[in-house]
Amino acid sequence: MARLVFLLIAGLGLLAALGTILSRDLVRAALYLAAFFFCVACLFVTLEAEFLAVVQVLIYVGAVAILLMFGIMLTRDAAGGSADLSGAWRVPGLLAGLCVFVVLAFGIHNAVSPSGKGPWSGIVARPALEPSDGVAWKAERVRAIDDMPRVVGEQFMTRYALTFELAGLLLTAALVGAVVLVREDSPPTPDEPADAASTEPEPAVAATR
Amino acid sequence: MDLSPGSALIAQAHRVDLTWNTAIVWALWLVVGFVGIFPGIVAYMVWLERKAAGRFQDRVGPNRVGPFGLLQPIADAVKLIVKENIVPRHADGLLHLLAPVLVLVSAFLSLAVVPFAVGLMPIDPPSGLLYLIAVSSISPLGIFLAGWSSRNKYSLIGAMRAVAQLVSYEIPQVLATIPVVLWAGSLSLATIFEHQARFGWNVFAPPGLLAFAIFAIAGAAEVNRAPFDIPEAESEIIAGYHTEYAGMRFGLFFLAEYLGVFVIACVTTVLFLGGGMPLPFSPFPTNLIDGSIRRYVLVDAILLAVFLFKVLLFVLAMYWVRATLPRLRVDRLMNFAWKYLVPLCLLDILLAALWFEIVVRPGRVSAGRWTAGMVVTGLLVWASVRFVFWVNRKLAAAGPIDADWPVVGAAREGVETDEGGGIIAREVGTTWPGLYSS
Amino acid sequence: MVAYNYVFVGLLLLTAVGFALAPLALVALVAPRKPSPTKGDAYECGVRARGDAWVRFRIQYYVYAIMFVVFDVETVFLYPWAAAYGALGVFALVEMTVFLALLFAGLAYAWAKGVMRWT
Repeated sequence: MARLVFLLIAGLGLLAALGTILSRDLVRAALYLAAFFFCVACLFVTLEAEFLAVVQVLIYVGAVAILLMFGIMLTRDAAGGSADLSGAWRVPGLLAGLCVFVVLAFGIHNAVSPSGKGPWSGIVARPALEPSDGVAWKAERVRAIDDMPRVVGEQFMTRYALTFELAGLLLTAALVGAVVLVREDSPPTPDEPADAASTEPEPAVAATR
Repeated sequence: MDLSPGSALIAQAHRVDLTWNTAIVWALWLVVGFVGIFPGIVAYMVWLERKAAGRFQDRVGPNRVGPFGLLQPIADAVKLIVKENIVPRHADGLLHLLAPVLVLVSAFLSLAVVPFAVGLMPIDPPSGLLYLIAVSSISPLGIFLAGWSSRNKYSLIGAMRAVAQLVSYEIPQVLATIPVVLWAGSLSLATIFEHQARFGWNVFAPPGLLAFAIFAIAGAAEVNRAPFDIPEAESEIIAGYHTEYAGMRFGLFFLAEYLGVFVIACVTTVLFLGGGMPLPFSPFPTNLIDGSIRRYVLVDAILLAVFLFKVLLFVLAMYWVRATLPRLRVDRLMNFAWKYLVPLCLLDILLAALWFEIVVRPGRVSAGRWTAGMVVTGLLVWASVRFVFWVNRKLAAAGPIDADWPVVGAAREGVETDEGGGIIAREVGTTWPGLYSS
Repeated sequence: MVAYNYVFVGLLLLTAVGFALAPLALVALVAPRKPSPTKGDAYECGVRARGDAWVRFRIQYYVYAIMFVVFDVETVFLYPWAAAYGALGVFALVEMTVFLALLFAGLAYAWAKGVMRWT
């Protein structure tokens, strides 16, 4: 049953991922990506990582998708379909994707689980979905599942305190970076006459005269 | 769905078993609750709003269909169904259909974790509150898609405004729930409810009062209620993101919006107003539970009645605000979220920790500690509100008086704004001259 | 198992989609359909609309989106902290104060640079 659910979600996720790269329309591609994020959240649920699943929906479907949409609205060629993603950027894009894939595969392959490093098949079998097995660490696991936010918080504040503050620093850096980026896009100073683009807004609303 | 009182006072098990019992309860929730009762409540909220708005404006409101116009929602539904569904020729058809569905799904999903009474909540996942916020954050995506797929300038402007407003007010709304989580020590809404049975309603702690105020304001903005109804400012941009929606598709947006109002009222009641508890500092009806079914039904009846009464009061307050206040200007709107509410929320979180140390940490409410907590955090909350407002006034006064007034700034620089293009130019041009002046 | 809670969420999702699509299907059966060129036009004003609606928007929107993402991630850190606060202590409060101060510095920077000015 669990395997069936996994296959279903993974299949849907794969379809969404394919849609993302094959769609000609940027907004649709971003929407497929959001659907893919949602599928990942569903996978987290089947792994009993409920908190993570909810965070995935909140951050990726709720926030990053909006950021993507606003980013698309910033580009010149938002007009649907005409956004051409093919051509010169196809090969570098493929290369970058391949690199990410290799890094991820390497990382997953070398991941060390609580029960030590094992082959992939062992790792796949470990987080069994039935509560009956794994008696040795059952109590800890039950607590982690029932009270995941609190366990995560305790870990943040003790074991990963430094990482936590670094995350804060990273977020601040992101915010400052965005601000600088916006300032870079420097507008004409108030003394200069506005350039043509602004006095003649491209698609002015239908003239009433 | 364990109906017997467990070891805990109110909280039900976070875990459920897939038994026939569960299946029947879930089926009842889905069919009776989500398909039957909740849309019904929403339909009559619309009727109530029209009645209330009528009274505020010295009219009688709907009174033709049935006694007191009580059948009006049914008539409206029939009208929506038999109206033609118009999709603009250039619209993105699939997304045009998907958008209202997404918004409605988001509103539906967020009702799944609301504890209406003891045991009367569909599910109680351990991260319930975060779940609630996560699923309600899907609706901006639907709204954006609605505006974008319509391929209408007003729709798109309305959608961009709506999404910018929704995401801006989501931050203070979320931050305002942190004190509640901190005091209850859990993200489960049932546990938060139970905490208030022991320590009094959250709104009666000064940081909780501030959080309640922020949550209510941000909540009104989240559901596009006046005075935050810029996304659908009909005098400026027709109807905003649902300009191109007709008939039942518009009806879905309408339903989702009022469902959102209902959700906000329910969540506020649970988080700050003690859920269904009739008395602020007493676990009154819940201590009657002794395991017998009759007692249980009695307690739940009391809780549910009080809960719905509080929700009704909150909803009426929102209608009152709508009848009273004019619409905010778009820049003031964003400023208010980021420059007033967010800093206040951050301060409030620290004050909430202080309240926790004084009152909650010792484990029982005692009059002495409670008074001390009220005085100390009360003064600090008052001071921080004054401080944030003072800083903002000072900073605003430092600039020219009309610095944030686009039309005046533009006119001074000799750019003509014709009446037709004015709105558009202000919204879309990235190099609008007044942008960085002063 | 905790994930069973989400079986209900899945069912609710299906119910909600069904609830949204059922009246639309009914509309397709009952409602009249009389398309005309004028009806299919964008509802902008009395005469023919000019230009495409899909245009470039101002960058302010993007700034708000970025700030939203940053603060949204921050809340994800805040929730576990708040839930665990009772079991922790003053050190956690200090840590969180530093964290909040960092983020507030970012907000103050954006504020000072005037990117939060709408027009």
